[in-house]
This record gives sequence, C-alpha cells and structure tokens, in this order.
Amino acid sequence: MQQEITPASKPSLKPKTLNQANAKGFNLHVNDKWYALAFLGPSVLILGVFVFYPMLRTLYLSLFLTNNVGRPTVFIGLKNYVNLLTSSAYQASLQATAVYVIGVVAFTLILGLLLAQMAVRKLAGIQWFRTIFSATMGVSVSVAAIFWLFIFSPSIGLFDQIGTLLHLPLVQWLTTPGPAMIAVIISTVWMNLGFTFLILFGALQMVPQPLYEAAAIEGASPSYQFFHVTLPMISPTLFFTSTVTLIGAFKSFGLIDLMTAGGPNNATNLMVYQVYRDAFLNGNYGLASAESVILAVIIALFTLLQFKFLEKRVTY
Amino acid sequence: MTTKNGSHQRLLILGAILVAVIAAFAGWSVMSKPAAQAQGAKRTKVVFWNEMTGPAQQQLNTFVKDFNQSQSKYEVVSEFEGNYNEAVQKIINTHGTDASPAVFQSMDISTSQIHHTGYTTPVQKFIDEDHYDVNQIAAGARAFYANKGTQLSMPFNTSQPVLYYNATLLKKYKITPPPVNPSYSDITRVAKQLTDRSHKKVQGMTVEIYGWLFEQFMANAGVSLANQEDGHAGTPTAVNFTNAATVKTMKWIQDNLKAGDFVNYGAGANAQNNETASFLSGRLGMFMQSSASIGQLTTGNQDQLGITYYPHPDGQKSNGVAIGGASLWISNDKPSDVQRGAWEFIKYLMTAKSQAQWQVATGYLALNKDSQKEAVLQNLYKKLPATKVPGEQLRAATPNATNSGIFLQGLIQERNLTQTAMEQIYNGSDIQKSLATAQKSMNAYIQGNNRANGY
Repeated sequence: MQQEITPASKPSLKPKTLNQANAKGFNLHVNDKWYALAFLGPSVLILGVFVFYPMLRTLYLSLFLTNNVGRPTVFIGLKNYVNLLTSSAYQASLQATAVYVIGVVAFTLILGLLLAQMAVRKLAGIQWFRTIFSATMGVSVSVAAIFWLFIFSPSIGLFDQIGTLLHLPLVQWLTTPGPAMIAVIISTVWMNLGFTFLILFGALQMVPQPLYEAAAIEGASPSYQFFHVTLPMISPTLFFTSTVTLIGAFKSFGLIDLMTAGGPNNATNLMVYQVYRDAFLNGNYGLASAESVILAVIIALFTLLQFKFLEKRVTY
Repeated sequence: MTTKNGSHQRLLILGAILVAVIAAFAGWSVMSKPAAQAQGAKRTKVVFWNEMTGPAQQQLNTFVKDFNQSQSKYEVVSEFEGNYNEAVQKIINTHGTDASPAVFQSMDISTSQIHHTGYTTPVQKFIDEDHYDVNQIAAGARAFYANKGTQLSMPFNTSQPVLYYNATLLKKYKITPPPVNPSYSDITRVAKQLTDRSHKKVQGMTVEIYGWLFEQFMANAGVSLANQEDGHAGTPTAVNFTNAATVKTMKWIQDNLKAGDFVNYGAGANAQNNETASFLSGRLGMFMQSSASIGQLTTGNQDQLGITYYPHPDGQKSNGVAIGGASLWISNDKPSDVQRGAWEFIKYLMTAKSQAQWQVATGYLALNKDSQKEAVLQNLYKKLPATKVPGEQLRAATPNATNSGIFLQGLIQERNLTQTAMEQIYNGSDIQKSLATAQKSMNAYIQGNNRANGY
C-alpha cells in the first residue's frame, strides 16, 4: 500500500525511471496529476475548510472594525494592531502570558523529569507510584479546576488551613494578583505532569543499560551519569515535551476561565483569554482576530526558535 | 500477494461497516421522522432558548410543560444555552438559520445590542394587536426593556440588588439593624460595630467587585453612566465614571477597607460563592447581591435573614436602582404563526399565577401586580417577611432615565473595565486615576463601535 501512494503524492521526489517502470502497468506517469489530486483532495478540502479559510478570514477580519452582528464594516488597516500593541492593558496581558508560559514549561519539565527519574528505579511497589504519577492525565480540566479552587479557597481552603496551623499570614490566593498567577501556574503544572511524566519515563526506560554500566566502570558519579548519559539520550523526548508544553501553555484556557476568569485586576488575563473575551463576550471580532494573529505569530516564532537553537543540542 | 489480499479484505470489512453505519443512520432518521410528526402534526413548534439553571430551570420547564398542556396550537420546546454572555453570540450567529430560536431569553445588559441587530420583533407589536394591558406589569421592569415608548422585549426573570444582613448576629452583638432605606453611613456604622464588638470574628461588610453593583451605585445616586441620558435619548458617545457621586462611593468603600470594617472577596463567581458561604456560616455580617439569592440564603440558614434597600449616598434621597435579570425576545426570522406562538407563551409566563409561582420558586420578583394577591406568594411573605423588601424597593422607585438601565452597546466591556478599576481602588490605588483609565478605554470602545455600526 505504502509504495503505491508515495510516488503519487510526491511525484517530483521520485526518479523518473521508477515511474516509467510502473507506467507500463497502469500508466501512472501520464495520470499522476490526477492521482495526486485524488489522494490529496480530501485532506486539502478538509484543511481548506477548517484550517486555511479560517486563518485567512481571521487575517482579513483583523483589518476591520466589526459591527454588532460580527460583520466587518469599516476598513482600518493595521489600526487594530497598533491600538493593541500600544495599550497598556494588552502589554500587561503579554507580560502575564510570558510569566505563565515560562513558569509552566520550566516547572513541568523539571518536576516531570524528577518524577520519571524516581519512578524508573526498580523498587517494590513502584508500579503503584507510576500509576499515581501519571494519574493527572485522566483528570479533566473542569475537575482539576474545582479541586484546586477548594485548595485555594480563602476560608475553607487546604492551603490556608495549613497556613493557620503554622501561624503563617493568610494568603488570599485567588483575589491578589501575584498569588493568583502562582496558583494558576501550580494548577497547570499539576495538570501537565501526568503526560510529561509518562513520556519522559518512557524515554528513560529506553536508555540502554550498558551505557550506565560503562560509565560506572569509568567511575562516573550518579550526577555525572545523569548529565552526560541520561540527558543526552533523552534529549529528543525532552525537546518534544518542551515544545508541546510551550504551545499548550500559550493556549491555556479552561483552568484560567474556571479559576480566575482572567482576574484579579487582569493579572491572569492571558492572551488566549483576551481573545475569548473580545470575541465571545464583547462581540468585537475585528480586535479578537488581531489578537489571534499576534498570538499565532508569537507561538510560531517561539517554536521556530526552539527548533533552531534547542534542536542543535539534541542528540538523536 | 498475501499481504495485498489481506489489505483488500480489511478494506472490504471497513467498507461494509461504513455502509452498515450509514444505513443505520438513514434508517433511524426515516423511522424517527413520522413518529415526531405524528405528535406535532397539528402543533406549531416554538423553540425557546433560555439560560436558567438550578431551581429556576426546573420551574421554567414546568411552565413549558403546563403551557403545552394548556392549549393544542403550539408546542414550546425549551433549550438550555449555557451562560448569558455566550448565549448572546449564539443568538446573533444563528439568526436566519434553522437552528435559531423563535423566542429567547437574553440578559439585561444585552438589550441595546440585541435591539440594534434588527433581528427581533418588538413585543410592542403584539401588545398593540392584543390590546394587552401592560400596566399589570411592573413599570420599573418594563422601562428597562423599552426604548422611546416601544416595548422591545418582555421583562422576565427580574431581580433587584439589595443588601443582606444577618439579623441574628446583629441581635447577638446588640446592634440596631440598618433602616429599610439605608445611607452609606448607616452601613458603615453597622459594619464598624460588628467588627469591633465581635473582636474581628465577624467581618462587617463586603461589596463584591462587580460592574453591576457599580452601575447601581450611580443609578441610586441619580447620576447617568453614559451620556444621552444613559442612552434613552439617543446613541451614547461617552461615559462618565469620574463624576463626584461615583468618586464619593468608591472612597467610602476604600476607606472602610483600609479601616478593616469592610473586606474584599474579589470578583466573579468565586467571590459570590465565597461571600455567600461566609455569610451563611456567620462570619460575614452584610453583603450586597441580587434579590434572586434569597432562596439560597433562606434554605438551611438557621440565622434570621435581614434585607434592606440598596444603600444611597448621605445627604440625598435614593433615586432607586435598576433591575437586573433578563427579558424575553421574539425573533423576526420565523413565520408569523411561530411568532404568535412565542407571544402566547410569553403571555402565559406573565400571568399573575405564573409570576407568583416564579417568585416563590426562584427569588426573582413577581412582575404581575395581581401576583401579590396569590396565595403562594402570601404564604411566602408570612413565612419570611423579609422577602417582601425587594418587591417594595422595585415599586417604591419612579422609573426615570438613570434608574432604567443603560441603553448602550458594549456593557459587558463596561463591566469589565469598571471591575478592573474597582479592583485597583480596593487594592489602594488612586480613585480618580483608576476611574479615568477605565473611562478612557470605554470611550475608545464606544467610538469604534459607533463607527463600525454607522451611528
């Protein structure tokens, strides 16, 4: 099956001779354009309707003011972008997003790796821990939000009860700007941990044992082994998880909506949340489109940078 | 060759499954159609979108069932559409399609926006056709959903912002309760006494960071939030957040927060849940919220509930507050018999009997004047005399431009901005500056919006 599809979908990459050899059978050479169309058609159609058209439409809408039924009425060029980038509220949103994304990616990777490193040891009952560590994968966003809301609640919350026992000052977790950001970062990291753990755990198990044995014979310390054997060996997976977590963090919506709704004082008003607010609450589609475009460009830029700089350090 | 045969076989099986699934769906739709038609053959289907949850949803579904049983011409189908904010966009985006509703519930602050879409038939048309006596419906509620003498939609679930206090706690600490129509300093006194006499075990008072309450402070002080008389005289072009009355109100809250007699519960649904929980557990003495919370505050509450009117600035009379809640609209993209059915359903919901049941079940106010005579409502008042207060507040105010809501598009944005200002003020920022920032953003928004809509 595979061999029948590849020459059709990527005709230019295949040497001519191969095509000609096939052509004797059913004349792929003459009809390959039609084959290409037949095989690519469905996916082009689906992508076109659900990806490319919305993308272009968003770009188009971002250049307009939209009226109260969402139709573009007044062309204003790049004014939406200019207004956004010069508004202090939007700059604050960009800043909040940066803090959130950095926090989430860093802690998810570090904690995920720590848990994976712990779980890879062969101890009695380790299976149980492995299940627990990956358990957050099965938790939906809404459940997680309610769970963490209980923990951070000001009067009945677990954190404040522990704090009271230890005679620590009371922290209004979700109603003061700084702690609110910490609270959503903690919750998101917790949500991400299951998946990250599982992927990194898999990678750690794939590291060939003889490498460690050789290192041990050379007299390498455990920490040296970790940095010079483990890390290089799992670097492709680490790279993958960092990219996925980064993109995921930029797109975080559910937890924010349920826990803080962008507040207090817009402290957790991330870029995606601002898009949602402007489009679906304020009905301001032009502005929301401009915000989406900015967000898309930023994500693309970061992913590109990651590929450019991090991938060099990845050992496949 | 064997693998090729294998894959062919797999394809065949896959194809067979696909055909079976399609056949099943086709069969199902063919089978189910006549069944559905048999029931609704003579009846005109009227799709009704609502955003009610909890007890209100149950009561609404009962109304729908009763209406459908009470006559044989129309069949109302009730569909829940999530929260108010999202419903507005859904209503706008489905207009003109088969998915759109014939009659829908939309929140108070969407009134100007929904009206300006041009997607609805004003209920005034049916009021005139039927010579329906609108005077039986509370004037304060009607005024909110009317523009230049035309009733755009029918007020439905209607609440009043009120102040709740824990009467048992006040008695325990020997504090004179606030008067029925309190001024700011009346509330300060009670809050201070509660905090002091309980040795900070009880928090005196909280004002949730909520744009709705912000608007109500202005309404009760008799100040317009938007120009053009809050939009009732024409399209507003600017807002006025930095007026003396608002600054005075914000200073009142800020000073009391600093003194520790008021506390800050933040904004949003979490704040509402937390302040309610604290109030019910006797750790919070007073708070302000919609009268629709009465049900929640009376069931299972061992302490006696006290209710007063919304507080007003010292040295002036209260102008009265605007209602909150939502109204019922009739879409104009449906044939006239469907629209007629929608109107008949609205009339059914507004009868004295339905409205009385509605107030008892939900805490929203009975808008039909004759509802007060209904036995169910009389029983409620006998059991919980405080529940009379919100209705009295509604009837005490004479509707005028400043207490009949703000006829402005983008009120969701306005609430967002005023809430941000409130948050800053509560955290100790300069009042004038915070309000001016919000005002500047809102004016820019209004300008853009007016331009986009060609006003």
